Formats: sequence, C-alpha cells, structure tokens
Amino acid sequence: MKEKDKRILKANFLDEITEKSREKISSCYQCYRCTNGCPMAESMDIYPHKIMRYILLGERKKVLCSGAIWACLMCNTCSIRCPNDIDVAHVFETLRRIAIKDGVAANDNLWEFERLFLESIKNYGRLYELATILHYKLEKKEFFKDTVMGIKMMLKARMGILPHSIKDKRHIKGVFEKIEKGRSEV
Amino acid sequence: MPVLSYYPGCSLKTSNRFYEKSIRDVSLFFDIELREINDWSCCGASSASAVDDLLAYALPARNLAIAETEGYHIICPCPACYQRLRVANEKIRVDKGLMDEVNDAIAPLSCYGSMEVKNIIELFTEYVGIERIAASINYDLSSIAVVPYYGCVLTRSWRIKPFDDTEDPVSMDNIISAAGASVISWQYKMECCGAGKTITDKDTTLRLSSRIMDMALKKGADAIVTPCPLCQLNLDLLPIMGRRHESIPVLFITEVIEMAIHGRIGGGRSHIVPVDGLLKKMKNA
Repeated sequence: MKEKDKRILKANFLDEITEKSREKISSCYQCYRCTNGCPMAESMDIYPHKIMRYILLGERKKVLCSGAIWACLMCNTCSIRCPNDIDVAHVFETLRRIAIKDGVAANDNLWEFERLFLESIKNYGRLYELATILHYKLEKKEFFKDTVMGIKMMLKARMGILPHSIKDKRHIKGVFEKIEKGRSEV
Repeated sequence: MPVLSYYPGCSLKTSNRFYEKSIRDVSLFFDIELREINDWSCCGASSASAVDDLLAYALPARNLAIAETEGYHIICPCPACYQRLRVANEKIRVDKGLMDEVNDAIAPLSCYGSMEVKNIIELFTEYVGIERIAASINYDLSSIAVVPYYGCVLTRSWRIKPFDDTEDPVSMDNIISAAGASVISWQYKMECCGAGKTITDKDTTLRLSSRIMDMALKKGADAIVTPCPLCQLNLDLLPIMGRRHESIPVLFITEVIEMAIHGRIGGGRSHIVPVDGLLKKMKNA
C-alpha cells in the first residue's frame, strides 16, 4: 500500500468513530484525566487516554482488538471529567459495536450477556433474572461456576426465580422489531 | 397528599423486593401516594445502549409515554433506571428529530418529555422535606455512624444538569443526618462497585466492591447507606462472593428512615450481612 493510501485509511478511522459516536475526538489533548479517574485502568491493556490517541492516529486494529474497550464499566467518570466534553464512555460503547461487527472483539462475554438481557426484554418486557443468567452460563459452558453463590442468593430471595411478563408483550416486541428493521436498512 | 407515578424497574421486583417494600412503607408514613406505572417495561439498562442508540431512548420512552397519560411526575428509585429515564425524557423534550424517531418506534404510544423524572433522594428532599424527617424521629440513631454511598451513576447523567454536585453530592448526607444517624465524610461516595460485571466477571466486582467495603471499615462506619439496588446487592454479596474479611451491613436510605421512625428494618432478613447489631445500637428517642 502506498504511503498516501495508508494515511487516508488512518484518517478514515477517526472519521468513522467521530461520525458513529457523534463525539469530537479530535479535541482530545491528552490530559490523562479519563485514565486517572478510571476504576478499571489497572486492568486495561491500553489506557483510556491512549485509546483516544490511537483513534487519532488511525490505529484501527490496535483499538478494536484491545481488551480495554471491554473492561469499561460505563460509570461515566471519564465523560464527566473530560475538559473537552468528550463522552469517552460512549466512544468505548461505539468501539465495542464496531469490534463485534468486524468480528475482532477480544472478549465477547459482556456482549453475549447484553444480547441475552435484551432477548429477555424483547420476550417478556422485563428482565427474567434466573433464566437470563442460566442461559448465559450454558452458552459460556460455565454452568458450575458461581453455582454456590447463586443458590445462596436464591435462599435469601435475592434472585428473581419467576418471569415477570408485562401484559402488552406484543407492543414491546414490535418496538424491538421496528428498530431492528431500521438498523438493517441503514 | 402528593401523588407520583412510580417506576420500580426490574430489580425492585426481583433481587431487591425488600427495597420496594421499604420505599412503600416510608412513603405511606409521609402520606405520599406512589402509583405504579401501568404495564411498565424494562428501561434497557446498559444493554440497550450497548447495542443501539435508538433502542436506548425507545425503551425508557415507552414508560415515559404511559406515565404522561397518567399525568404525574415520575419517581424512579434505581439510579440506573433514573439515569435512562431522565436522559431520554430531557433529550426527547428538546430534540424534535429524536422525538419523532422514538415515537415512530413506540407507536401507538407517544412521548413528549412533559413530565419530570425524580430519584429516591429527591422524593425526600422535595416531597417530604428535611425538617419533616427530623421532626418524625421516634428512635435515636445517634450512636450509629454511616458512610453515604451514592454509587457511580446517580449524578453522572451525561450532558444533563445533575440534581446534586457531580463529584461530591450531599443531598443524601442531609437526609441521613435528619434521620439522626451520624454521617462520616469519605472520598468513596461515587466509586464504582463493579456494576453489572458480577455475572460476566465476578473478580472485578469482588475487587472494586471490596475496596469500598475496606474503606468504609477504615473510616469506622457501622454501615454503608446507598440509594442504589445494584450497589447494595454487590456490596452485600461480598461474603458469598469470596471476601474473607469482615463486612458491615449495607442499608438502603429508606431503611435508615424506617429505623428512625419505626425502630425496625422491615426487610432485615433479606440482608446477607446481618443488620441485628445495628438495631441493638438504636435507642428510644
């Protein structure tokens, strides 16, 4: 690939993330505040401020394959503290969606769980705790992990054992289907 | 008698049913009527926004739309639900394009953002009043020292005016003081407990929640007080998540008020870290 083409490709990554997240990432001046306040920074392979920098540098692969984007807890500390008003947590959310779409996610546990969570809402209107957790554990083949904790929670009535369906299940399903349809048309 | 539309959210019907009971008990005492939003559905939590921006607005909007037809402001005790509902409410109110998109998705319902969304702390500061709480005390909690733990999302509603200071909120501190317990100042008011990682990555929750518990112990607290059902669950689960060190009880803000007015904690037995020791410290006022 020619040097010029490489530069264009790299610039495209910044444009892509800027457009999809609607955040002005180019205003980042590397003050480190996002990283300093992050409760998960110590478990990240790439610190949040560096993720922002790599987006600017067009390091698509490095960013999308990182474990860091999956470690985020969405606590929004970084977003609130950013002096340039960048919603860093939302940028991470955007990166996750692209990583999944491209099939390069470092770890899809969280994504799997979110998917099952939404599946439960689509079907019942509310979260069916026990079924969603068991479904997740089955898919991840971790059926016996945390079983003791789960049983202890049930004994203390700290887990929803029965489904809580809403009455108008057709409506909520319709909301999901309309949005899914709109997404596939884009 | 003030009337409010009440949005419980999934956790108050499952893992935190005793929180709902406590909220209802205390509201009844202060003559506030909570009318559960008819056929409410999940707010989408962090899952909807993980997948799709429009879904993250449409799921809370479905509930807001129903509440608008009922005509009362909305009280939302779970901070995560509160954040989702309030952000959707205020964005839809000012962004006509988003309003149309959302209303198209939730048709035949429609949401205009015409109501206010309030959290559990505002229920006490705006609808009950600090003075009235202080005047209603029947039991002396002055020998109980607590750390106020707001959790990470309550004041961090992105690009929306927070109801209290983003980094150092004090509204719940005032409620606890009015109820007669002593408030210990600490720097972990807004630290993250690990949130929803408990299922996919338990060790992260164990580490983050333990840090909060350790600091509370170091500060000499008898209990941690929170408005958030997920924070309460994560911190209370510590002993069965594998924490070997001591843990102190984690109370909901409404349970502190319950103690001050009734001298008991109705859902005491649902706590994993026992609350009996705290109750023994309480005296008749």
